Amino acid sequence: MEENFIYAPSVTSGEFRCRVPLKGARQQFIVNGSVQGGASPFTLEVPEGCLRDEMLQLISVRNADNTAPLSTRQIYRFGKHSSGRILQCFHTFTMDSFETEDRVEIRLEEGAAAEFFILQNEHNKASHRTFYDISLARDASLNMVFVSLHGGRIENNLKVDLCGEHGSCDLGGLYLTDGKQTMINNVELEHYVPECRSNQVFKGILDDEGVARFYGRVKVDRDAQKTEAMQANHNIIISDKARAYSKPQLEIYADDVKCSHGSTLGRLDEEEIFYMRTRGIPEGEARIMQQMAFAWEVLQRISSEELRDRMQSLVEKRLRGEFNNCRNCSKNCC
Amino acid sequence: MLIIKDLHASVGDKEILKGINLEINAGEVHAIMGPNGSGKSTLASVLAGRDTFTVTSGSMQFKGEDLLPLSPEERAWKGIFLGFQYPIEIPGVSNVNFIKAAVNEHRKRKGLPALSAAEFLKLMREKMAIVEMDSSFSGRGVNVGFSGGEKKRNEIFHMAMLEPDLAILDETDSGLDVDALRIVATGVNQMRTANNATVVITHYQRLLDYIVPDFIHVLYQGRIIKTAGKELALEIEKKGYDWIINAQ
Repeated sequence: MEENFIYAPSVTSGEFRCRVPLKGARQQFIVNGSVQGGASPFTLEVPEGCLRDEMLQLISVRNADNTAPLSTRQIYRFGKHSSGRILQCFHTFTMDSFETEDRVEIRLEEGAAAEFFILQNEHNKASHRTFYDISLARDASLNMVFVSLHGGRIENNLKVDLCGEHGSCDLGGLYLTDGKQTMINNVELEHYVPECRSNQVFKGILDDEGVARFYGRVKVDRDAQKTEAMQANHNIIISDKARAYSKPQLEIYADDVKCSHGSTLGRLDEEEIFYMRTRGIPEGEARIMQQMAFAWEVLQRISSEELRDRMQSLVEKRLRGEFNNCRNCSKNCC
Repeated sequence: MLIIKDLHASVGDKEILKGINLEINAGEVHAIMGPNGSGKSTLASVLAGRDTFTVTSGSMQFKGEDLLPLSPEERAWKGIFLGFQYPIEIPGVSNVNFIKAAVNEHRKRKGLPALSAAEFLKLMREKMAIVEMDSSFSGRGVNVGFSGGEKKRNEIFHMAMLEPDLAILDETDSGLDVDALRIVATGVNQMRTANNATVVITHYQRLLDYIVPDFIHVLYQGRIIKTAGKELALEIEKKGYDWIINAQ
């Protein structure tokens, strides 16, 4: 069975390339919105029954060659009973004021299973908006994890439609802010039919004057009996000036459902920190350890161990204020 | 090992410790008893360096060094261990990674290299056996989902891994059934040497059946009002604290 997607095995020299690809991942580069060696918009069609083993990594970068506002599209269609894993990485390479908008369409047909891991790591003057338009047919399942590591302004807009029975959607998000960064996650998720489940966990660690906004609405239609929908947004504030706004919403029109939502805002737990210190763990380490533990609930949703380890190490470096680069690579994209 | 002189400590405006004098030598076991609110846990916290309490006067010397300027972690590296009355749950940090980080921090301060994975595992198995814990505890979050007894056993496991010179066990017996009490006490006894000392803070005489103290101190309203040998515990068990308080 042939897959129909564009792949550039050899990018010309001088072009960007990731030097430390994950094992078993195929890489595709998009530079300033143009797909290297292929046509735009980037389109992946996974044929019916095709089970993709290797992860497809889309690396979308912006550099000084084009600093104009940019709008790009990516399209993913998973045919019946197909499966695949996608890693989307978004980076800026220069300190220019980038404005980027990505529209990503994800269609999961009956019984399809997909995972999307999204890494957002951009400079402070970059503003990035994503619009994910997602629909799941009967028995389809989607697991999605956003890691918003760094960026001037990152806004993720997700619209998820559960259109077929027994659909399952997991959304995870971790966002880290410092300086004057703003991270926004808007989720509109609708259960149209009975017996679907959805689960959302968005967590943020906010330092300096960082701002986070979470808006999440789960709508359960009148016909969508036996729906299971959970939504949580938790924030840790590290500094006095960081702010988090959270608005979880449930709109339920069916009467036989299991739904919950919640939102918290807190500081690091001083009791936990004292406990760790009495065991000889220095205060700074104890604080990092606690933040890593907080992040773990989201990171553990990344099913690839290698990717999870890498993300964990990126998050840890970020929290320690070190450069965000992958081991053995000097580029600061990750 | 530890010399406490006229120690006063407060929370805000409220003075809780009102002149504690205590001397603990290597090889000794001291029990601190007393009614609720007498300052027992405060004393333990102040020794470990909790900053919610302010030491207003007096001194604490540990192995000849002034403890006051030292942070909780520095005190831990010098050899002080505080076993918590209510061990803290830390979701997301596995017990094994936590104690490994702690052990290696201690080793760093002693100028020793970090333990290899194999060395660490061997040490951990050995020490877990002391408190009859199985390996299922190591992968779980620190104290997360542990029963009361398991939490206290975990405290003793941490103590065994860190091999402190002075262990202060704050109501380690509370919430324990007889079996867990025996396991915890046996663990503590196994670790006793001529070079270390233990302070057990307790309400009840029953722990002292297992961990036999050399001295019992009764703390009341922030002061030690009586010090005697192990037989005092039995008397307190029978007669309560009133006769000691009234004799003041």
